[in-house]
Amino acid sequence: MYPQQIHGYLRELFKENKCQILSDSDQYLTVQLTIDMDKRIMNRPFYWQYLESTNGVPCPAQITLITDKNKLDQDVKGEVVHLGSPRLHQLFQTIKELGSFVLVYEKISGKSDSQTILTPWLGVNYKVSYFSDQTKETLYSLGINLMTGDLIEGFQESISDVDLDVNMSENTFNLPYIINPTRALDRLDAVIENKIQQDDHTWAEEAKMRWEKDRKVLEYFYEGVEERPDSYDIEKEAMDQQYEARIKIEIINGGLFYLK
Amino acid sequence: MIIERSSEWKEGFAKRLENREAWDSWKLYNMSYEIAKANLITDFRGLQSPRYLPNLTPLAHQLEVAETVIERMNGKAILADEVGLGKTIEAGLILKEYLIRGLVKKALILVPASLVNQWLDELNQKFHIPALQYKKNYDLNYCSVVVMSLDTAKRSPHKENIYEQDFDLIIIDEAHKLKNHKTQSYEFVRNLKKKFCLLLTATPIQNDVFELFYLISLLKPGHLGNYESFQSAFSASKHNVEHDEYLKELVNQVMVRNRREDTGIEWTNRNVEIIPIEFTKEEKEVYDLISELKNVSTVFSDAFSLITLQREMCSSKEATALTLTDMLEKCTKQEDISYIEEIIGKLMALEINSKAEKAYEIISRVNGNKVIIFTEYKGSQTYLQWYLQSKGISSVPFNGKFNKNKREWMKQLFKDQAQVLIATESGSEGINLQFCHHVINYDLPWNPMKLEQRIGRVHRLGQEHDVNIYNLAIQNTIEDHILDLLYVKIGVFEQVVGELDDILS
Repeated sequence: MYPQQIHGYLRELFKENKCQILSDSDQYLTVQLTIDMDKRIMNRPFYWQYLESTNGVPCPAQITLITDKNKLDQDVKGEVVHLGSPRLHQLFQTIKELGSFVLVYEKISGKSDSQTILTPWLGVNYKVSYFSDQTKETLYSLGINLMTGDLIEGFQESISDVDLDVNMSENTFNLPYIINPTRALDRLDAVIENKIQQDDHTWAEEAKMRWEKDRKVLEYFYEGVEERPDSYDIEKEAMDQQYEARIKIEIINGGLFYLK
Repeated sequence: MIIERSSEWKEGFAKRLENREAWDSWKLYNMSYEIAKANLITDFRGLQSPRYLPNLTPLAHQLEVAETVIERMNGKAILADEVGLGKTIEAGLILKEYLIRGLVKKALILVPASLVNQWLDELNQKFHIPALQYKKNYDLNYCSVVVMSLDTAKRSPHKENIYEQDFDLIIIDEAHKLKNHKTQSYEFVRNLKKKFCLLLTATPIQNDVFELFYLISLLKPGHLGNYESFQSAFSASKHNVEHDEYLKELVNQVMVRNRREDTGIEWTNRNVEIIPIEFTKEEKEVYDLISELKNVSTVFSDAFSLITLQREMCSSKEATALTLTDMLEKCTKQEDISYIEEIIGKLMALEINSKAEKAYEIISRVNGNKVIIFTEYKGSQTYLQWYLQSKGISSVPFNGKFNKNKREWMKQLFKDQAQVLIATESGSEGINLQFCHHVINYDLPWNPMKLEQRIGRVHRLGQEHDVNIYNLAIQNTIEDHILDLLYVKIGVFEQVVGELDDILS
């Protein structure tokens, strides 16, 4: 991820949350936080608790984030953020929290006499992680038509060229959904589980083999020892946790999409 | 297979459907997906961590170690690079990788007390890992990456607090401190749950091959068999093993070791010399009187203190006098007392210290360049400082008991003002003195790895000159025997672990 990308993300995060941007060069960003944003990212719950209990005048912080330290030629005081810095991690987490659920409509430009009919879809972005002593992650973006139950894979990509907005355009008509979105979500969950089942799980087999190998080594160490010491059980437990294959399904975000 | 899922999103979604909460921003929604996509870990293999460390440029061998440990050793390994190749960086890369991949949530880093701050600095600044120093009243439940000294950790109540936690990764620096399996430290680590575990030491064998056996048995019990099967399979005795090729291969499955010359980096040369010294007639007389002690009275027959005395006599009369005076207090018989008093008398009458003179000769030969002298004895340290002063050479003392500020201060004094730094053994860890390239081993330790540790203070990344090592040894004394034993021990190390850079000559 390039510094410019990160810079762009952060600018949008603050703009979308009504934080005033005080200065914005390519290398850094100074922002006046709103009260809500201050509470989210400044890690000072006691300040806010105190202020609210004493009815004080809130004074949300101003921060300067340096996104490209290498190109910065002025003397700017601020916090350096880059991929891997705890602050950026936190800001990305904030973006995730504030971009979890959407309701959007396809934009209909120009004035036409006839009404445009929009069909409701549920779109959900999943992250599936395979864990043993190693990890791998896969993204699945699924969409389901709430009228027909049709499924689309790569939903997020398929709508990337569509102009979408949180407000309805004039002269459009939204079909009411036939399939309840909550039910539809269950359908998508099932699709994901099915995908996982169909997937190649050599990784889990291999982890199991590593596990068994280590277990044999441990048994060898304690061969002939009648009363096994605590350390034997501790070792065994550590191995179980190290190699046991697990799968985690996580929803990044999703929502209702009204499309032509 | 276990599938973990959370219903959190579903609940949030239901609230929006029922208009109980507002929908989110479409822009942020897209950004969130893009970020998730960009940071996705698409492969079990390979390293993610370098992408997250834009300000760190790891060396090729360091990246290779991180990859090998994670992919081929399943995250349990001894990192045994030669001193100065950046084992801390390797451990940091591995820790970072596991944190990014979500495989490690909690990590415990056990280090010598003198290195706690250095680790905290490196982890926080180079790796952006918010590591904390353990404090008595901390609740470990809320600390994800903790650095503490092994000496603290092994004691109650800290020990119990640690056992209660579920650490995913344990890192132990200077792991050769665990070479003795009868110690409290060893027992503490043995009973610690080690899911992923890194043991860092440049010197996995210090004296004998069993040290390596015990170290590996901490990491992966059974890998070298149990004690009996290990001993019989390799006909192992302290200083000898058979089937060493096979053993080496087994060891290499759990240990990575880079040598300076494998790293592809241009290293300056290391010139090592043994400098034989002759005692003066008077010194020799005192030395012989000391060696005779065991035949004089059973009070002096304790071999250990006799050897200590002999070694001290090879160092300085100041070091010897202290021990002799202690002995005198224990004597009850008049004849013993007078024998010792006679030695002390002759000792104090000595006017020449041949070894110190040789050291001075070397120092005056190096044209004002910086020199480090390592001695085993505090008495000699003080004496040398006085002696060099009398010759117009400024020096600063250094030992491991100095606190962090004092260490830094002494190091600075040495860099800016004094020509010579005189360090005792415990000063040889955790100081980096690349600006100096002459090392005098005034006294020889029993353990060759101590020599390697000492030399490693100057012969490391950043050294621009050839490094000169002078090992002083007085002929026809115990120091001959020490030299022989050092060669034997180096032999065992090379048989099992691998080649060593020159440390004797």
